[in-house]
Order: sequence, then structure tokens, then C-alpha cells
Amino acid sequence: MTKLIFERPIIQQINAGLPSKYGMSHKLEPISHIDNVSIKSLIESYGSPLFIISESTIRKTYKNAFRAFSSRYPKVQFAWSYKTNYLNAVCNVFHQEGSWAEVVSGFEYDKALKNGVPGDLIIFNGPDKSREDLAKSIKNSSLIHIDHFDELYEIISLTKEIEVKPKVAIRVNMDTGIYPRWDRFGFNYENGEAWDALNRIMANKKLDLLGLHTHIGTYMMSTDAYKIAASKLAELAVRLQQKHGHVLQYIDMGGGFASKNTLKGAYYPGTDTTPSFDDFAEAITSALMSSEIKPDNLPLLILENGRALIDDAGYLAGSVLANKRLADGRRATIIDAGVNILFTAFWYEHDIRPVEPVSEQTEDTTIYGPLCMNIDVIRGNIMFPLLKKGDQYVIKRVGAYNNTQWLQFISMRPNVVLLDANGKPHLIRKNETLETINSQELTPEHLKNFDL
Amino acid sequence: MLKIKKNIAISDSGFVFDPGTGDSYTLNPTGLEIIQLIKSGKSYEEILQEMSAKYEMDGESFERYFYDFTSMLKQMRLTENHGED
Repeated sequence: MTKLIFERPIIQQINAGLPSKYGMSHKLEPISHIDNVSIKSLIESYGSPLFIISESTIRKTYKNAFRAFSSRYPKVQFAWSYKTNYLNAVCNVFHQEGSWAEVVSGFEYDKALKNGVPGDLIIFNGPDKSREDLAKSIKNSSLIHIDHFDELYEIISLTKEIEVKPKVAIRVNMDTGIYPRWDRFGFNYENGEAWDALNRIMANKKLDLLGLHTHIGTYMMSTDAYKIAASKLAELAVRLQQKHGHVLQYIDMGGGFASKNTLKGAYYPGTDTTPSFDDFAEAITSALMSSEIKPDNLPLLILENGRALIDDAGYLAGSVLANKRLADGRRATIIDAGVNILFTAFWYEHDIRPVEPVSEQTEDTTIYGPLCMNIDVIRGNIMFPLLKKGDQYVIKRVGAYNNTQWLQFISMRPNVVLLDANGKPHLIRKNETLETINSQELTPEHLKNFDL
Repeated sequence: MLKIKKNIAISDSGFVFDPGTGDSYTLNPTGLEIIQLIKSGKSYEEILQEMSAKYEMDGESFERYFYDFTSMLKQMRLTENHGED
């Protein structure tokens, strides 16, 4: 007689609480494949945990976003936000799709140049640009987005040494009706500082003022804020033309579109609440088209989206290390990826799934990472199936910021694999080893030996 | 020996009611089987024997699951003296 399959015994309290009136299902469908490639086989080949990036998802998302803007506005250009994910392979997928580079440090600037992006197609943002960085970007005719007056005067002083006329824009911050208001970057619109900066640049004549830039916030759920921002930039462009007869070549609306991840504390999942690319595009392009800018002078519209273009393409797969009970009887599952490599776990309720179908039963579970640190929580409480030690999990939407903000802390950063359009895996960043870390350290002679 | 409180009502479909607190619980089929074996006064060894005759499983995982399950019963105060003799 064949024996029956054993399911672990469980008992669950019935809570007559206040469920969501939509009765969201607790069942988590397993994800066994990404682009038809088995996650199990990828972990076998490349180790656990493992970042997996889908090239076809990047291209599909890019095309979808670009179509939303280009079908509504005549001149559109995307610039890939390096800080969101500057793995070279990922950047080059965006460059192949037509993206320029948007960088915020000398390091990122050099990375873009080395990837082969022409200097004049690099947008240099951010408050940290050294004199050397500025000199280099002036010589390369890069687009320098000025953040503060000190930077403006540094550039003016460099014009005495360098023959090339710097191509500049100013970053403008403003009230768009959202909270928190980002006023630490660029020049303020409402108090007249931005207009003042533009007048000083026009009066100087040594700078080539090409555009206006804003970046109103991050993870924006409101399209109205973009509409207000685009209208205010358009108004500055019109005033420049009226006073100085100067026509701007571009308006850069920055990035900040929300991805479909769910923010901590949100009542509804991000998949239900995040505006679509079409919603954002409609808000921005309608503001520019209906502004007082003459139709012949409509500027190039630049967008620097990062998160919304890459989040969906990234997955983090790995294995369960252990299960235990907390003091209150709640279940705790420990997985092999911690907040050191999944930095976004601090902000998001990440969508984590089993790789293979397990029992239908779920239990209120806290999912911890492997670090010996109390803060290492991947999900605070989630109705999660009863995975055993060694079972595999996969976390969706981790493409943005994790491969740049990850920390080498307690354990090493793992392999990153890119699945090409045919589903073929390519290792695009090798895992770190003890040698990687030690190669950067120097031990003084008198500290090399000890007796215990 | 672990004993389930006498006043706890357990239905054949796996529904559990504690009249002391008013709380109710659900069991999955293996949970129901094990709780009934405990109720009938069987020891861990006897339960292991009965379950392994019926199900495809190894003793080591069963031990782990069994003690995790009984610790939940204690946590929910469904056992006599919280399970202590």
C-alpha cells in the first residue's frame, strides 16, 4: 500500500477581526520561472542568494514608458539614472534602447564614459561635483545641471581656463503641493532664487544655458505634482524668452515615478495604486503643450526615471535557513538574504513567494534575514506558506537601488545574473569573496603577528 | 504526558472551540489526527509509530513538526497545566 503524503500539522486561531472589505486572498502563488528559466536551476548554477535581472522586462518597460511620452509630445529623450542601478550590463541595455546617462558623482560620470556614452549625452546632476569633475564635463560638453550658486561661480571661474563654453541648466525646486517638499536641491522657484540664477547666467554670457531641470521627489504617487512642476518650468522658459529672447532647448522633469512596490504602511498594494506611465505622461505633456511656450519653440522633454523602469526587472532568489517560534508563538522564517543586500526592505512590503508549490496552509510569519542584527527584517508579518529549511523563495521587484545601495556587511554581496532575450543567463557581477575585501586592506607590520 | 484540556471541543472537521476563552481554531487534517491521538492518551512514540505507518515521512522531520505543533497548543492554552505534569 502506498503511503499518504504528509503535511505538517498546524492549528490556527480564527480571528473575527475587520478584514479588508475586498477580502484579499492570502494565497501566494509560487513563482518557479523567470522568462521561462527555472529559478531552481539558476540557484544551482550561481549560488544562493542570487539577483536575477530580466533583460526583456527592462526593454518592455522602457518601450512602454517611452511610447506613453512620445505618443503625446513631439520631442522626448530618456536619460538612465545611474544611481538606481549602475551595473554596466543594465546601463547598456538602457543605452541600447536610446537612453542618455544621468549621473550624480564623478564616479558615475566616469562609469558612463567608460560604458561608451558620448560626453555630450551625459547629464551631470547633484550637489557633489568637484572642480576636476566640472572641468572634465565642460571639456566633454556634458549637460551640467547647476545645484547652487557656489557651483555656478566655480563654473564661471573655470571658463577663464577652458576654451569650451559650458553647457548648463539649473535645477529648480518648488512647491508642487506635495509633502515632504524637496527644497535642498537646486534653486527655489517661489522665492525668486531660480529666476535670479537664470538672470545671472544670461548676464554672464560665458555659459550656454540650454535647459531647466527639476526633480520634485521620489516614489511620487501623484501626477498632479508633475503637472504643477511642468507648468512652473514652462513659465520660467517663457519669461526667459520675453526678457532675454533666449529659447531653451530642453526641460528635464527628472524622475521619481513610483514603481509597483507597496510602501510600508500602505493600505492597498502598489499594483493597485501606482499611476501608469500614461498617467504621468498625460500630466506632464498636457502642462507643456498648454503653456505659453510657442509651438515652434517647444523644448525637448527629458525624463530621468530610474525606479519605475528597472524595479520590475529585478528578482532576488534564495533559500530558507531555518524556522523558529517567537516568544508569542508567532512563526519566524530566516532566509539567506538580509537588509544588507535588500536595502529596499526598509521601505517596501516586498512581494516574496515560494519557488515551488508547498502546502495550501499559511501562517502569520515574520521573515528575517541572516544577519546577527535585530533590524534585519525582510517582512514584518505576512501570511506565508510553511517553507522548510532548504526550500527556495523569490522576491519580486528588487531591480531599483539594491545593486547600488547594498552593503558588504557581515556577509558578501552575491552573484548577479542577467537573463537575455532568449532566456540565456549571463553572470554580470561576480560575488565577493574574502579576497575581494582583504585586497583593499593594509595591515601595519607590527600588527601582523600575535600569540594567543 | 501532554493532555488536552477536557472542556475543549474538537469537531470531526477540525474545528476547535475553547469555552474557557471563547476562542476558536482550525486544524489541518494531520493536525486533527495528531490532536485526537494525544487526546486518546497516546505517547509520542505511539503517535510516531501510527503516523509513519500511514504517511510518507521521516522521523526526524516528524519530531520537529510534532514539537512545533504541541508548543502551539501550549501557547494557545489548550493543554492541561500548559502541558506540564
